[in-house]
Amino acid sequence: MTPINISLLVFMIGLYGVMSKNNLIKKIMGLTIMNGGIVLFFISIGYREAGLAPILEKGTIDGTTTIVVDPLPQALMLTAIVIGISVTALALALIVKIYSKYKTLDIQQLSKER
Amino acid sequence: MSIHIPILIIISPLLAAFLVLLSRKYKIILATASIITSIVFVSTLSSRILSGDKVIYHLGGWRGPLGISLVVDGLSFFFSLIVLGLGLLVIIYSIPERRYGRTYYFLLLVSLSSMIGVIYTTDIFNMYIFYELLSLAVYLLIAYPKTGVTLRASFNYLIMGGVGLSFFLLGVGFLYAMTGTLDMFHIAGRLSAAFDSSMQMVIMSFALIATGMGIKIAVFPLHGWLPDAHSMAPSPVSALLSGITVKIGIYCLIRVIYTVFSAEIFLLINSHNILMVLGVVSLLFGASMALVQKDLKRLLAYSTINQLGIVLIGLGIGTELGLTGALFHVLNHAIMKSALFFCAGIMITETGTREVKGLSGFGRQQPAITFAFIVASLGMIGIPPINGFASKWLICLAAVEAGYTFLVVIILTASAIAAAYYFRVIQVLFGGSLKQGPMPAHEGEQVINRGNLFRSWPIYILAAGCLLLGLLPTLGISLVKPAVSLLLFHVVP
Repeated sequence: MTPINISLLVFMIGLYGVMSKNNLIKKIMGLTIMNGGIVLFFISIGYREAGLAPILEKGTIDGTTTIVVDPLPQALMLTAIVIGISVTALALALIVKIYSKYKTLDIQQLSKER
Repeated sequence: MSIHIPILIIISPLLAAFLVLLSRKYKIILATASIITSIVFVSTLSSRILSGDKVIYHLGGWRGPLGISLVVDGLSFFFSLIVLGLGLLVIIYSIPERRYGRTYYFLLLVSLSSMIGVIYTTDIFNMYIFYELLSLAVYLLIAYPKTGVTLRASFNYLIMGGVGLSFFLLGVGFLYAMTGTLDMFHIAGRLSAAFDSSMQMVIMSFALIATGMGIKIAVFPLHGWLPDAHSMAPSPVSALLSGITVKIGIYCLIRVIYTVFSAEIFLLINSHNILMVLGVVSLLFGASMALVQKDLKRLLAYSTINQLGIVLIGLGIGTELGLTGALFHVLNHAIMKSALFFCAGIMITETGTREVKGLSGFGRQQPAITFAFIVASLGMIGIPPINGFASKWLICLAAVEAGYTFLVVIILTASAIAAAYYFRVIQVLFGGSLKQGPMPAHEGEQVINRGNLFRSWPIYILAAGCLLLGLLPTLGISLVKPAVSLLLFHVVP
């Protein structure tokens, strides 16, 4: 199991949660797990075995090559996490409003309401 | 100043969005002025774009794969023109309804500016961010009336849209793993080498991105959110969603197919057939579902699935004629469907019901609006002097030319079904006298100035646009031409 396979597995678990759960909160949890899988995927793309943090200090360039991890996916994932949080926050706000209108969070019962 | 124009087009509505939150009195003037400013900026670029040039702006002066660039070429110019033109009309149409406060205009402006961001950016991760921003604003716009149905529709859209954009982001991850860059033009350069070594990864990333965008475009098996979201939203928002927001998904799909994956890989992995099949299925499904709807706006929402099927068929054919037809149909559908949703908004507030059969007699009371409705719906069916005919004709020609004659039969069948459901509405419009029913719960408590100019003028402008593009189709084709030659030949016409 490479980290990439595990991250895709986490993504699929999240997708299963979104698709099959009837509770709205559990659907949002599935969405968050999908997001987590994506974060893990990007981080494992940028990972290098025994890599250092990509910081160039004065005087370190002496002809020898050092292995550094790719910093770009980490920067991207900071943005993606923030976006994921805003989506989750909006979804939870909608859930609060839906609950105060219908007094249920079950999607089967909600779809019967008109 | 003139080199900064691409970023100014995005910033102008975004800046106005935050100013709108601060001012109570001038919110409408600010919103309108910012969109008009953007339109002026775009039109200063028009002569360069239409002659086949493109404008590239490097954000912060960082070039190439390191920085984020904005590009205005034939394709992005065409789509940004649709967004800004219809966005202005949506804002004008919302003016008379007093229940729309500052946050409504804030969300509208944020969504419009992020749409232009999606269209102009060349960085594929930046495209994801703008798309997510656009989606957040749109979820809130759907839920704006805060009634039960709108909240549920918004939540469904949020779940589906969230899953779709997650797929898109995962596809972007695969692309980055193969090429090590996020700039679309640089990915394209390195992808053909990656295709030879790891073909499955390329196919995987294409499949993920196409699925993600498929949810946003609402092709048949992934359309679940669309009928609720498009029909329950307030009428100007419905016009925004159906006219513009769905088109952004089509833009992303075209951009990813032709710029990132290049037409050769697209043909090699046989995905044009998949697009064609999906187009046919959503065409027939949308048409037959629209036929049985009792709710006017729901009927229009299913009609959107129907018309997007035609666009996908045009994209799937993929020849020069097919692409011209598909892009021209994007423009035509945007104009016609916003006109129809604007008309539906007036009909619902005047008659107090969303049911089709409750509209009887509206045609005698408001002949001008009804005339515009008839013009736009004839265009949807594809009857000659209206614009919908021109683009459907082009797609049919392309289908025959490429040897897919059965597609013509399917498109004509769907047009016949479309004729059935639109004529049913038109027939009811001229039926018995108008009965003033009770206001439906979620449309209640709105204050309307009857016969307000701001509500009717956008409809007249759009109907005139339908007739103009129908009588002079070369006008629309000349707009589409730079985009098509850019996509197919990577050269200027």
